[in-house]
Amino acid sequence: MSATATTATATATAGETYNYKVIRQFAVMTMVWGVVGMLVGVIIAAQLAWPALNFDIPWLTYSRLRPLHTNAVIFAFGGCALFATSYYCVQRTCHVRLISDKLAAFTFWGWQAVIVLAAVTLPLGITTSKEYAELEWPIDILITLVWVAYAVVFLGTIVKRRVKHIYVANWFYAAFIVTVAILHVVNSAAIPVSFWKSYSAYAGVQDAMIQWWYGHNAVGFFLTAGFLGMMYYFVPKQAGRPVYSYRLSIVHFWALAFTYIWAGPHHLHYTALPDWAQSLGMVMSLILLAPSWGGMINGIMTLSGAWEKLRTDPVLRFLIVSISFYGMSTFEGPMMSIKTVNALSHYTDWTIGHVHSGALGWVALVSLGTMYYLIPRLFGRELYSLKLVEVHFWVSTVGIVLYITAMWVAGIMQGLMWRAVNTDGTLTYSFVESVQAMHPFYVIRFLGGALFLAGTLVMCWNLWRTVAGARTVEAPIPAPAH
Amino acid sequence: MPIFKVIQLLFSPRGGWQAIKQADFSVPQAFLGHTVLFALIPPVCGYIGTTRTGWSLGLDRPVRLTTESALQISVLYYGALLVATLSVAWAVHWMARTYGAKASFASGLVLATMTATPLFLVGFAQLMPEMWLNLVLGLPALAWTIALFYSGVPVMLDIPEERGFLLASAVLAFGLVALVAMMVVTVLLWGAGLAPTFTG
Repeated sequence: MSATATTATATATAGETYNYKVIRQFAVMTMVWGVVGMLVGVIIAAQLAWPALNFDIPWLTYSRLRPLHTNAVIFAFGGCALFATSYYCVQRTCHVRLISDKLAAFTFWGWQAVIVLAAVTLPLGITTSKEYAELEWPIDILITLVWVAYAVVFLGTIVKRRVKHIYVANWFYAAFIVTVAILHVVNSAAIPVSFWKSYSAYAGVQDAMIQWWYGHNAVGFFLTAGFLGMMYYFVPKQAGRPVYSYRLSIVHFWALAFTYIWAGPHHLHYTALPDWAQSLGMVMSLILLAPSWGGMINGIMTLSGAWEKLRTDPVLRFLIVSISFYGMSTFEGPMMSIKTVNALSHYTDWTIGHVHSGALGWVALVSLGTMYYLIPRLFGRELYSLKLVEVHFWVSTVGIVLYITAMWVAGIMQGLMWRAVNTDGTLTYSFVESVQAMHPFYVIRFLGGALFLAGTLVMCWNLWRTVAGARTVEAPIPAPAH
Repeated sequence: MPIFKVIQLLFSPRGGWQAIKQADFSVPQAFLGHTVLFALIPPVCGYIGTTRTGWSLGLDRPVRLTTESALQISVLYYGALLVATLSVAWAVHWMARTYGAKASFASGLVLATMTATPLFLVGFAQLMPEMWLNLVLGLPALAWTIALFYSGVPVMLDIPEERGFLLASAVLAFGLVALVAMMVVTVLLWGAGLAPTFTG
């Protein structure tokens, strides 16, 4: 680029800054909701080991707190992390401020309102009973409004960009935003009978299929595509080197977007769903291994060149291990979708273990690693203690390993006990005997979850010390390099 | 492989790995002198435990296997342990180049087999097939195995600690994937009618 051209673009952006305010708000709430969601998770894990812990209070029963846990960690913690990082990534890679500060502020306050409404209605027992879509219709409408505003802000900012190229992370974020909008609107279609009660617009097996088309793609697009956007921006940033293969990242994007949407029926193996649909879901789930591992290799190879930085930068450890867990759980998922394996694993704790190797190992670790990158920069400070980051890393990793190994053993034992028959054809074990046999594993799972929460609290303390008394940062928009 | 080296490793990993590195064991020394013997502990104790005492799963009656069935499973168990050790050794050998190390298959095998020692030793607990006891002993053994692996990689492969961390994490991810694959194979075989026979 010639010197005159630099001056020309620099003048074009002079005086303009990025909108960091909304990112700061979302980043702080990521940590707040993370602690809340994980705490509820630890409480319900304790209830499974020691059922008396619901104290016979309806609002504290497992059935009401479990959806509170899933909504809090996925949509509150994960959602805020996605809002924060997507707004950061899209502004910095497009060299332009978000198109509307007001609309961005609406997405923040609107999303917090959704979370608070969820936290009130779910313990009261107000639910559609659709998994991961429990919120009743008035809240669903609010979600739709916020989400449309989010799409306008994000995509509008891309349209207004000052560089020609749209960086691959933005493709992943955009796919996540657009697909989640479609999933939410279609699956939440319902007929209200009162202000807090509605019935699904679909009936029977169609309802189940729509629900799991939604459910699996909430995993595929909310918990995967969105966080892959995070990986493709923050991993190269933290490693200080470009993506290992940009071409592979494009292939990864299209293969993932095409394949994921078909995988939902594997949640309905051996149900009333037509057999061909089940088999299709299984085959698509197996194919999904290829793009997933392509993405994992891209992430791991990007990081492996930055090994010298590990000495001074413990945050890299979070990113490395999160990508390893991404690889492990995207291998486990296709295996569990094989019908004969699913015949044993379905409805057991193996599924819970699988979800958490993805949720704690991949989603939470990549988000927390990213927050370690983001929050000090948003407040113009250096991280308070690198030693505490390392403590956090080991405590959380041990927690995850305890959690998933306990659930593996528990799940396989349940599956085998449920199908064990005597020579006369009667069941060897009653159901309650299989519940009894789970006790030690539920205690270990509780310990694993508690360790993960403890690690997150260490992080909160570290970040608190980092930003306490700090002033907020205004970042000028640099001239794009062509 | 001299037993005092193993003991030294278990109690002071850093010095232990240095000593093992200097001894420069060959593949037969490591495999026949260590893996083959130590890997016998869990299947043999498991065989005795499942046929004599039976697993108590917190239920009123223990789960016991017939001797033929238990023998069959123990042989498969032993084979799986040997294959697992060899495949971790192979993974170290295969991935080493990516992380700037030249690892002979022998050093990978020494690493894999010595690292697994706490897990092999905790196999003695299967003589007392009580779930609580096995968990209380097994979890620290698992943690110690992982710690030994992370401390052993940089020494045995002669690479900086940071690179060692990356390689160890990659091999650990490989190990977890292999473990899941083994679970899936077990479930498929069990479903295909190769289930064990229980007594009583």
